[in-house]
Amino acid sequence: MCDGVAFSEVAMIGPALSSQPFVELLSLLSGIVSEPLLVEFPFERNYVTSIIRVSLYVSLAAVAASTLFSLPVAMLVGFTDFPGKRVVVAVINTGMGFPSVVVGLVVLFAVSNQGPLGSLELVFTKEAMIMSQFVLATPVITGVSLAAVTSVEEGVQDAAYAMGGTRLDVALVTIKEARYGIVTAVLAGLGRAISEIGSVLIVGGNIVRADGTSITRTLTTAIRVEARQGRYETAFVLGAILVALVLLINGIVLHLGGTGRGR
Amino acid sequence: MSRETLRPDDSRWGPTDRISLESITHGFDGTTVFEDVSLAVEPGETVAIIGPSGVGKTTLLRMLALFLRPDDGIVRVDGDDVWALSKRDRLEVRRRVGMVFQEANLFDASVRRNVAYGMQVRRRWADRLRRHVERLLGEENRRVIEALELVGLADAVDRNVGSLSGGEAQRVAFARAIAYDPDYLLLDEPTSDLDPRNTAVIEDAVTAARNDGIGVALATHDMNQARRIADRVAVLLDDSIIEVGPTERVFTDPGDPRARKFIDGELVY
Repeated sequence: MCDGVAFSEVAMIGPALSSQPFVELLSLLSGIVSEPLLVEFPFERNYVTSIIRVSLYVSLAAVAASTLFSLPVAMLVGFTDFPGKRVVVAVINTGMGFPSVVVGLVVLFAVSNQGPLGSLELVFTKEAMIMSQFVLATPVITGVSLAAVTSVEEGVQDAAYAMGGTRLDVALVTIKEARYGIVTAVLAGLGRAISEIGSVLIVGGNIVRADGTSITRTLTTAIRVEARQGRYETAFVLGAILVALVLLINGIVLHLGGTGRGR
Repeated sequence: MSRETLRPDDSRWGPTDRISLESITHGFDGTTVFEDVSLAVEPGETVAIIGPSGVGKTTLLRMLALFLRPDDGIVRVDGDDVWALSKRDRLEVRRRVGMVFQEANLFDASVRRNVAYGMQVRRRWADRLRRHVERLLGEENRRVIEALELVGLADAVDRNVGSLSGGEAQRVAFARAIAYDPDYLLLDEPTSDLDPRNTAVIEDAVTAARNDGIGVALATHDMNQARRIADRVAVLLDDSIIEVGPTERVFTDPGDPRARKFIDGELVY
């Protein structure tokens, strides 16, 4: 395995550098090394990989659900006139700044025994975390998508209509024209979800199993715990992973955007 | 070939085949834009609509393209009162009318995708099936290339529209409107921002479309252009069409003194 070899070379010179976070980051991101590591890390790899897994699962699920909900709403608001439209837009824009702890509190109440979803027993589960991140990401994705959709030139929509397009055809043309803005919206939503701490801490409880692997602990809540316990190296590595994930996602989108423009 | 020589020998059209506005009255926010306006464009003729800026030439074309429903009066296509038709039938009528705007309004895609768009929005199952068969047989590609050849851009078929100049973009917009073989073509000052070379290409394409039997309505403030390519001219002024007739007659001997003043450039508005 090429990556494994490359990693091992880094790891061999590692003892002198073992305190440097980037070496630890490499070991974590490689994830495919089957040989025992020559570097002793200040944490269990399983602990970190489980945290990454939970973070990605919760954030991606929340953003996927939010996108499915937000895009039609953005199209509906962008394409139609109805009484109270300005109020709806104002609510969406206000929602972008919702304090996450308040969202967490509301979702916790909703899924608690006294709440309307109490029977589902979702307190301190990943599903409850997805719900809270959905609430946080939805105004962001809806708002930015709405801005992207409404910025598409009316003339382009007119052209689609003039060539015999139905309202659906015109909407599809608009989505295609606004695709980079919509991708940006989804990214912004993902950024909000994956870097969020307040609500997931409240509704998820930051729980780990007896073996140290995560049940509802995410990168952000783990960073908080590690920092509070004085394990700054681990906290920094987790922080670096979080930043690397966001950079990776942005890089993929930039690449796709570049490919798309060349069509 | 003039309209008079084209139509009598051509049996493709019935007696009611034309796109027309009949006694249209329309306004925005309490202001009257049109008062009892009537105009017809027949297959195989080019009608230029001239008038000062802001007089409503674009609004008139948008009514013919069924973007706007008039407050009063009838829009007919081949005898049908289109606003009395069902939504589905009206959609079919819309698909027989093409429009080119002052701006190219191209989609952010390749030239090919833009020009093929009008052929791809047909949504009835029979149309979809036919489209797939046409694509398999290369018919769609042939029509795309044919339309682009008309405006001298067949070589640009795989270029992205972002790489086109303004004139080329407008020529692609013309090809896009003509590729799906409409019966009527509405042109809203399509050459107002173009240089003489691109203007000439589009004017030639308009004449070719008209010679092919398409009815063309051209809104323009370029009276030389109207004189060059129109069979008939309608002068839109003071909320109504004050003069309509054969091009040379309107330019040399208009019946309405306001039309004379406008053509001579003496009208202050």
